[in-house]
Amino acid sequence: MEQQDANGLEAVFFAERARLLGFLRAHGAGEAAEDLLQDLWLKISSARTGPVAQPLSYLFRAANNLMLDRYRSVRQDVKREQDWSDATGATTPGRSDEPSGERVLIGRESLRKAEAALAALGPRVERIFRRHRLDGIGQREIAAEMGISLSTVESDLRKAYKAMIELRRTLDEG
Amino acid sequence: MTKPHDQIENEALDWVIRQRDPIFDDWDGFTAWLGADPAHADVYHAVATADQDMGALLQSAPARRAEPIRPAPAFSPAPPPQRRAVGRRGWLGGAVAASLALVGGYGWMTTRALPYVVETAPGEHRTLALGDGTRIDLNGTTRLTLDRNHPRFASVDHGEALFTVVHDASRPFTVSVGGATLLDVGTVFNVVREAHETRVAVSEGAVVYNPDAEAVQLPAGKALRARDGDAPLDVTAVAPDSVAGWREGKLVYDGAPMAQVAEDLGRSLGLSVRAAPDVAARPVRGIITISGGDKEAMLRSVGPLLDIAIGREGQTWVLTAKGP
Repeated sequence: MEQQDANGLEAVFFAERARLLGFLRAHGAGEAAEDLLQDLWLKISSARTGPVAQPLSYLFRAANNLMLDRYRSVRQDVKREQDWSDATGATTPGRSDEPSGERVLIGRESLRKAEAALAALGPRVERIFRRHRLDGIGQREIAAEMGISLSTVESDLRKAYKAMIELRRTLDEG
Repeated sequence: MTKPHDQIENEALDWVIRQRDPIFDDWDGFTAWLGADPAHADVYHAVATADQDMGALLQSAPARRAEPIRPAPAFSPAPPPQRRAVGRRGWLGGAVAASLALVGGYGWMTTRALPYVVETAPGEHRTLALGDGTRIDLNGTTRLTLDRNHPRFASVDHGEALFTVVHDASRPFTVSVGGATLLDVGTVFNVVREAHETRVAVSEGAVVYNPDAEAVQLPAGKALRARDGDAPLDVTAVAPDSVAGWREGKLVYDGAPMAQVAEDLGRSLGLSVRAAPDVAARPVRGIITISGGDKEAMLRSVGPLLDIAIGREGQTWVLTAKGP
């Protein structure tokens, strides 16, 4: 049963409780850290995953995502946030998943800008970024696959991620 | 000395990039970096959420390649939390308030209540980890009320829950159920509340039922059944290993009435099941193993085991006596 699959994860969760709590506090959780740790467990235990290969890393990633979700929810810029998630197709509870015609246009326009910004960095940088960010391939594998040095992969990735984050800012303002 | 913002942003970006690698595992290094300066977390959150947004945007492009491999579990967009706040004092009515009062000597009673509800869907199992290491396993169709300010208290509103309590003699854990109070004495115990009846079974340690009234001591291997009203309490023996059998999909009976078996089956399978009057009181002995897969087929297969017929009235499955 699903319960069985969660048991390994559960054991790691309890064993590493203090470390996870320290991680949430380092993220600025403050007094809410204990509550957030419980939220984390609720999310994990209801996520119904299969067996997890690296349980500790999985728990830290989940905790990291939880803190990013929290950051989003406390940002004051709620309306823009919703416009943005509608445009990119993310589901907002209680809203239609079907974006309005105008929002589809905004989404398409943003996508066109993002692809143009990536293309402007040159084909090698774009390919490395897509392999890493969208296909989830590690830096070493990319270096081997393309026959280039790891440091080249690293510096190309920095350029591309930076360009994307800069663009995200201008899209927000525009 | 505070670093320039650009430098922090570059460092944050490096963490985002490294974390995108499926083999990233330097969580201690990352924790140390975050904790070194509160500004680090702020900048990292902004950069990492921007990265998430751009990733989602680029992935919304018409497919140009195979399904991307996702190294990280995706919790975004986050489902709404499975809980809701209830009126601050609203649930502390009548019997519950009375049963709380008996532990009123403890300092924590002066803190205001911050209750929250945790509910499971039919057939769903869930585990809660409380701050003190206490664990609560919820069976399906179960509702508990907990309190953020009183972490050593839980109310079983309905359904079934297994409590694995980390004992602290100075702060006993109390469970409120069906107007009664259970006081833990270092314990693993199971609580069921449904249909005007409370059942408690103790697997390890001991529990005191209503310490200020009947004060029934229940050591491991004992079970208690309390019907609402003035009916006498019913204390029976139970195999300690079988107390939380439902968690492994095992329902163990040694003379329990068919009506209870029907309720347990319903909760475990997430179906509406009841026993017809002609078999409701019939005692059941044996072990029913709940396996995954087709629930209705699973329920039908129980018929021969219990020597009963299984029929259907609308959405409800009915256990009845076999025809001649």
